[in-house]
Amino acid sequence: MLDAAKPAEHALHALYRDHGGWLEGWLRRRMGNAWDAADLRQDTFLRVLSSAQPLAELQEPRAYLLTVGKRLLSNFYTRRNLEQAYLDALANLPEACVPSPEQRWLLLETLHALDELLDGLPPRVRRAFLWSQLEGLGYREIAERLQVSERTVKRYMAEAYEHCLLVDL
Amino acid sequence: MPAGGPLTRQAPTSRAREVARAAARWLAMIESGEEGVDHAALQHWRDSHAEHEAAWQKAQQLRQRFVGVPPSLGMATLDRPTLARRAVLKRALGVAALVPTAWLLGRQLPLEVWRADLHTATGEQRRWTLPDGSTLQLNTDSAVDLDLKARRLALLRGEIFLRVAGTTPLAVQGPYGVITINRGEACIRLDEHTCRASVLSGSVQLQPLRGPSVTLETGQQIDLQATGAGPVSGFDVAQLGWRDGVLVAQNQPLADFLHELDRYRPGVLRWDSALEALRVTGSFRLENTDRILALLAASLPLEVHMRTRYWVTLTPRKNIA
Repeated sequence: MLDAAKPAEHALHALYRDHGGWLEGWLRRRMGNAWDAADLRQDTFLRVLSSAQPLAELQEPRAYLLTVGKRLLSNFYTRRNLEQAYLDALANLPEACVPSPEQRWLLLETLHALDELLDGLPPRVRRAFLWSQLEGLGYREIAERLQVSERTVKRYMAEAYEHCLLVDL
Repeated sequence: MPAGGPLTRQAPTSRAREVARAAARWLAMIESGEEGVDHAALQHWRDSHAEHEAAWQKAQQLRQRFVGVPPSLGMATLDRPTLARRAVLKRALGVAALVPTAWLLGRQLPLEVWRADLHTATGEQRRWTLPDGSTLQLNTDSAVDLDLKARRLALLRGEIFLRVAGTTPLAVQGPYGVITINRGEACIRLDEHTCRASVLSGSVQLQPLRGPSVTLETGQQIDLQATGAGPVSGFDVAQLGWRDGVLVAQNQPLADFLHELDRYRPGVLRWDSALEALRVTGSFRLENTDRILALLAASLPLEVHMRTRYWVTLTPRKNIA
C-alpha cells in the first residue's frame, strides 16, 4: 500500500465510521426497508470513494453524503419502477416468447441503460422515438397515432436524436 | 455493485450541441423518407469535420442499441404509464399513499463463504450465487443452513430454489428426508406437515424417513411427510412463479389464493367466508402485496378494509344501488 493513499483512506474510514450509520438511518426512513437501505449506503460510499472530492477537506460531510445518497435513491426508484414494468410485461407474454433467465437479465440491463438515455425527454417525443426505433414505424404512421403533422414528428425525432447524442453512451 | 448509477450529463459545450443538432436534423430528414434529400450534402457534412463523422457514428451505435430489444417488452417498459397507474391504485386502495414495501427481487448477491446461515423476512426474497457457481434463492420467511464444503444444505423454514451447477450433488436435508440434487434445478417447500420437492430440470434423488428412495425427473413433484413419500405427480411450473416475483393463479379459489398471499404479508390478513367461493385468475407481482389486494378489489365483488397495513380484512362489496 502506498503511503500517499493513507490519508485518503483514513478520511474515508472516518467518514464511514462517523456518518455511515446516520446515512443508513436516513435511507431506511425514506425507503421503509433495511436491506435496500444497507445496499444503498454501500453504494453511496462506493460512489464517494470513486469521486474526485478530497474527503479530508469536506466541510459538511453529512450534506455531501446526502447529496450523493439522494441521487442514488432517485436512481433506485427509477430503476425499481422500470423493473416493475418489465416484470409485468414478462408476466403477460405467452410462455413460448419468454426469454431465458440470462436473456432476461441482459435485456433488463439494456432497458435500464436506454431508460437513462431517454430520461428527460418530453413524453410524446420519447414515445415517438420508441415507436420509430423499436417498432420500426414510419413518420407518417407515428403522425397518425399521435394525431400531429409529419413535420412535428420530424421535429420530435430530431429532438430525441440530439438529446441522445449529447449523452455519453 | 460497482459505483454505477445515473449517467453523468455534463452541460455540453455550445459546439457539441451544434454538431449534435446538425446530425439529429440529418437523421430525422433521412428517416422521414421525404424526397429530395441531398445525400451529397450529407456526405460533405460528414467529411468536413471529424466531429461530424463521430456524431454520425454515434447515432448509428445508438440505433444499434435498440435492435435486440423485443418491441413489445421495450414499449411496455420504456413507455410505462407510471403516474396514471399510481393514481388508479390510490383510488382502489382508498389510502393516501402506497407504503413502499420490501423489494422482493433483490439483486443477485455473490456469497463468498462456504458456510452460512441464510434467511429472509416475511415478504422478502433473496438470491445468491454460491462460490461453486450454483444459485440459491430463498422465498419469503425462509431459512437455511448451508455447508458447501460438505455439499449439504439444511432447510429450516420456508421455500427455496436451488440450481446446482457443478458435477457434485448437493443434499438438502429437511425434516422428512434428504433430497439430493444432481446438476439440475429444483424447488423445495416446507410447510407444517409436508416437504414438497418439484424438479425443474435434471434429476433428484429422495430418501424419505421411511420407505425406499425415489428418483424424480424434470417436471415431477412429490410430497414428503413423516409417514413417507406420497405419489409422484406432475406440476404446473406457474406454481413456482415466486422465483420471478410473481404469484400466478388459474381459476383458483380465493381462499387458496389468499392463503398463499398471506405468506408474503406481515400482519393479519382476514376474509369473510362468503368470499371463499370466488375464483381468481391472473399473474400478480409479489413486490407490492397491497397492490395485489387493490387489484382483487378492482376485479372481484369485494372490499379491502385496511385498518393499518398490518390489519387487513376483505368483505363482500355492498351494492350502493
